[in-house]
Amino acid sequence: MQRARTEHTEKAWAAIMMAPAVLVLAAVALYPTLASIWLSFHRLILVFHEQRFVGFENYAFLVKDARFFGALGHTAYFTVLSVTAELVLGLGLALFLQAGPPARTLLRAAILVPWAIPTVVSARMWAWFFTQQGDGLLAALGARDIAWLGTPGYAMHAAILVDVWKTTPFVALLLLTGLVGIPPAIYDAAAIDGASRLRTLFRITLPLVRPVFVVTALLRALDAFRVFDVVYVLTEGGPANTTETLSVYAYKTMMRAGDFGYGSALSVMTFICVLFLAAGYFAWARWEENR
Amino acid sequence: MAALAGLGLAASMSSCRSERAHGGRSNGKIALVIKYQPLGEADAFQRLLRDFERDHPGVSVVAEALPTSSDVAHQFFLTALEGQARDFDLFIVDIVWVAEFARAGWLLDLSPFVAPSEVRRDFLAGLGDAVVFDDKTFALPWYVDTGVLYYRTDLVTHAPSTYQELIFAAERAMRERAEIGGFVWQGRQYEGLVCNVYEAIWGHGGETQQGGHLLLQTDAARAALHYLQSLLRTRVSPPTVTSAGEEEARRAFQAGKAVFMRNWPYAFAESERAGSNLRGKVGLAPLPTVTGEPGHGVLGGYQLGVNARIAEDKRELCIALLRHLTSRAASVELAIAYGRSPARRDAYDDPRLVSEAPLVAALRPAFERARPRPVTPYYMMLSDLLQGEFSAAITGVRSPEEALARAQALVDRLTEVR
Repeated sequence: MQRARTEHTEKAWAAIMMAPAVLVLAAVALYPTLASIWLSFHRLILVFHEQRFVGFENYAFLVKDARFFGALGHTAYFTVLSVTAELVLGLGLALFLQAGPPARTLLRAAILVPWAIPTVVSARMWAWFFTQQGDGLLAALGARDIAWLGTPGYAMHAAILVDVWKTTPFVALLLLTGLVGIPPAIYDAAAIDGASRLRTLFRITLPLVRPVFVVTALLRALDAFRVFDVVYVLTEGGPANTTETLSVYAYKTMMRAGDFGYGSALSVMTFICVLFLAAGYFAWARWEENR
Repeated sequence: MAALAGLGLAASMSSCRSERAHGGRSNGKIALVIKYQPLGEADAFQRLLRDFERDHPGVSVVAEALPTSSDVAHQFFLTALEGQARDFDLFIVDIVWVAEFARAGWLLDLSPFVAPSEVRRDFLAGLGDAVVFDDKTFALPWYVDTGVLYYRTDLVTHAPSTYQELIFAAERAMRERAEIGGFVWQGRQYEGLVCNVYEAIWGHGGETQQGGHLLLQTDAARAALHYLQSLLRTRVSPPTVTSAGEEEARRAFQAGKAVFMRNWPYAFAESERAGSNLRGKVGLAPLPTVTGEPGHGVLGGYQLGVNARIAEDKRELCIALLRHLTSRAASVELAIAYGRSPARRDAYDDPRLVSEAPLVAALRPAFERARPRPVTPYYMMLSDLLQGEFSAAITGVRSPEEALARAQALVDRLTEVR
């Protein structure tokens, strides 16, 4: 009886202590999300004061909108390719840094430079490389006269390249923290048992860095799926909308065309996709744990 | 993203509400605030404002510059004016925004001060249709822009008047000099591409509007897109054109890498600058067409409007400033100092303009021939749809026929829903 009461008060206290955080979260995350969902059920042209409830009309158009499915495909392609490349390169970089090359502190700081530059700035810089006709960096590499940002098929890969260039250091650093966390005793034991370096890598390093790896992949995938700045600065979604991602389409619909109803529907779809992505990851992680 | 969008919307609304109404009186003077886009390095614009202050004691004029990007400026007005901003009195309006802003109720009806008939009489043809709706004047044209053809006088003997001539001349020059790319224009997916396509449609003898409807599936439109696509396919235009805006095209031309360029007149000043490698080697001509008649450029440029929400007692002053800035004398000053082409007809007869800004004076026929893009409050939506389809056609993702059919379907839906 006595114990139950203590538990009760403890729970109440916990609720009181949590309340501010919950309120803040509700205000900054939940409210705008719900507001967007509410807007997506309207035809809302802000500047002309056109606002009327249309139910699922925006979504009915959305499921027939070729441009939406195009954007969804581009977003998925961007996410899969850029995150895979970042993880592979990032892991390589992390292993290299962990091996303790000379001047490692300096190196660690140096590789972070691309990550430290604001995306808009680095994208502008790359746009400059890509569009220099005939005498730019890429021309020197033999890629003269290719319109990197104007040719369907190339433009998306140009955007992926810039994203990989920018984000690989960040991924490497996250993975490095995972590598550093592996107890040296395990390596010592492996060495005593006479395990080769390759065997050590596959049997000890990789399995033990796996949890960090999975979380990193999740973080990056969620981020990449909402990609906006790189694409917007490089191509604004062109040519022929072949680089238009969901965020870019939603932005253009809302801020340029002023159609907040349909723009919100697009945003909500992006949100749902990201939600599924996250849920999928967690389901998989749980399955992994219980295996 | 959903969360982000909602937040952005809420934030932009509240921030605009809070900035209302500081433009009233400051140290006993009435302050007029004008939002404009940077015109150039000279101080002629500031001098014009000081002249106005001298003639109107007790008034001070504050000029606040906007970002040079037209899209960003549009977004600024969208958020500020929707938020009922009153902290600026006069502002510039791109020719394609006037209908939208007028419909939204953001532009003061100027008809009591400047009748529509006066606008049509005093300003270049085409501008009247851009600023007058329902027989009401919503803005006064300030300076104009249009597409023209640049050519290298050291590489070709004369400006081509037909598309065929242009292609032959470009190919000949490219055969003689390997480093030359023929004809550069704006092929990036953005507003500039839409302008280039309209000009090609008109050059093929087509119309782009019938009544209130946008015409897309015409023979001329198909031929125009085939022509632009073939320029790229046959390499008469370098592949980089598909990612070029005005500045990218200008830089390529300026670096001596093209025989021809389609651009606005601003690029000429740069090529004639002291130290430019193209000085004296560049000519301007009307856009070519199929038949050889001088082509129609897209009509661009800026108007000045009055914020509909400002206090009533400031209106007269605003109109006075508006008239001052769009006067013949001011137009001539801006033309000489910044190369901005006057929207006002009589400015072109001014002897000072003819002697000190001969290029601007020479462009008058091009402005008289220029045609407006479709005039509709939904222009920005329309353009966004067209940009993607036009881009698909010129890069060969879809055939011109298919791209135009898709564009027409999208546009019809947009206009149907209203």
